[in-house]
Amino acid sequence: MAIAEAFTPTPTPVVPGRSRWGRTGRSPHARLDLLSAGLLGLVTLVALAAPVLAPHGPLDPVGMPSAPPGTSGFLLGSDSVGRDILSRVLYGLRSSWLAALAVVAVGALLGGLVGLVAGAAGGWVDNLLMRITDGFLALPAPVLAIAVVAALGPSLLNTLVAVSIVWWPFYARIVRGEVRTLAARPHVEAARLAGAGPVRVALRHLLPGAVPAVVVTASLDIGALVLTLAGLSFLGLGQSAPAPELGADAARNLSYLLQDWWIPVMPGLAVALLSLVANVAGDGVRNLMAGR
Amino acid sequence: MLLLIAKRLAAVVVILLALTAVLFLLQHISPADPVKTMLGPGASQELVAQTRRELGLDDPISVQYVHYVGHLLHGDLGTSYRTRRPVGTDLATFLPATLELTLFALVLALVLAVALAVATTLNWPGAGAFRLVLLVGAAMPAFLLAIGGIILFYKQLGWLPATGRTDILDAPAGPTGLLTVDSILHARPDVFVDALRHLLLPGLAIAIGPAVSIGRVLRSSLVTTQRTDYTRTARAKGLTEVQVMRRHVLRNSVGPALSMTGLQVGLMFAGVLVVELIFAWPGLGQYTAQSIPVGDYPAIAGVMLLLGGAYVVINTVVDLLQAAADPRIEA
Repeated sequence: MAIAEAFTPTPTPVVPGRSRWGRTGRSPHARLDLLSAGLLGLVTLVALAAPVLAPHGPLDPVGMPSAPPGTSGFLLGSDSVGRDILSRVLYGLRSSWLAALAVVAVGALLGGLVGLVAGAAGGWVDNLLMRITDGFLALPAPVLAIAVVAALGPSLLNTLVAVSIVWWPFYARIVRGEVRTLAARPHVEAARLAGAGPVRVALRHLLPGAVPAVVVTASLDIGALVLTLAGLSFLGLGQSAPAPELGADAARNLSYLLQDWWIPVMPGLAVALLSLVANVAGDGVRNLMAGR
Repeated sequence: MLLLIAKRLAAVVVILLALTAVLFLLQHISPADPVKTMLGPGASQELVAQTRRELGLDDPISVQYVHYVGHLLHGDLGTSYRTRRPVGTDLATFLPATLELTLFALVLALVLAVALAVATTLNWPGAGAFRLVLLVGAAMPAFLLAIGGIILFYKQLGWLPATGRTDILDAPAGPTGLLTVDSILHARPDVFVDALRHLLLPGLAIAIGPAVSIGRVLRSSLVTTQRTDYTRTARAKGLTEVQVMRRHVLRNSVGPALSMTGLQVGLMFAGVLVVELIFAWPGLGQYTAQSIPVGDYPAIAGVMLLLGGAYVVINTVVDLLQAAADPRIEA
């Protein structure tokens, strides 16, 4: 839809001073949405490039302990053992962001598969799969995740497994809903009459119609996931001690709160920034998909 | 309506059974050996074998599950490896502090949600600023709000306390365990005020996230309701903007916000667990946080069963309330 819009001349009146935008045939709003959506790529690049961008190793004591932000060489200050907070935050941001993306991807694939099978098959298969999905949705996701990690033992991988287990049902519901609506449409009936088997109908004629809804939900989900993962990490359910992790770095340095506030605050601010950027980008993706 | 209630109650039973099954299976696949955790690494093989038999760990898994549910029905949640006390007793000790904080945060969240939604919907110059509050508030982790609150209101301004439930040593300890309620029952206004002051910062830290989510849903249904014909009629007959909002718009917009509130309670539980750690709040969050590193699974399962059960019950009540308020909602 976004591409179609890009090639359609929109009747937006050309705003003086913005004529450069008008000429591309896109409304300023769509431009803004595209820029917001692009933030997803930008943050992913920053996350991937963290080892290059970080001035120091995240585990190396490289200077004076507890240096306040802005001290020469330490943009965000240093922590109680003289590690560079900026470097730790960059590495923490990398693991938070990639973890959130991984959970969204697993959730969308797993939930999408369940939803596609349920929606395309209908009947008792649909009923059974949706009752299971409802069962998961009826339980509070963070509580389930904590129970899973506590049972498997705290580690980043187990946390990702746990959160993925509680995250897929949303996607199953969405995909199933889209697929059920599509299944009643004439083009699907035509495909069936033309002799397409159930698998071909599901993959070629039903699945593509559900993709936009999944993409929008997924991009709006990333911010919430960043927050959820940071909360679990804060509770000690992520990587163990010296590894840089945003939630855990804030939790472990709580005792410095009153003297050297920046040590616990900086990782927390990074979580907030990451989640904010993800939300803005998610809104952008949604608007683009809706063809605003 | 009666049929709806019966259906929903049956669903609650099924979901709670599913929750117990999940918690039971998790314990089963957990790599931590409960017997070794309980007896310590130096225990002899005979003692380990004997304890396994006594605990019924040699029985088939289905038998173990039936026993587990049977014990739960008798209020037996097992024994904590760490405190060596029944988990039920531990929960009873830590629950009141958490219950008080959660209820307080829930009330705060609802008040803030209505305020945010109305402030962003009304046609006035501040609406844009409040929309920014919604955007930023949605991205704030509870622990950052808690830390920021302590730095600002405790360290810089010295207005509010930062740890515990009260500074008053002879505060009444019963009968409900909720300090604000107990202080009223014992006619101690000083304790009541002190307890409220202690609740304010952790309560706000927990409430802001849910308030923003509920506020957003409320805002979008307010905007929809504002475009209806009856709202236009109310305006046309000369009611002020505030009257229109209060009498006509708000009342017809609370349904979706109520559903969202039910869902947000699950996230609030996570917020409570985190915030309790920061404010040294003597509740279930502390209990959970101390149980996680030592692998005290019965304790964790007990807390999760309690929170999960509360969530299921709350959401069922929300569903039923909506059906009662709006007869168009059917089973």
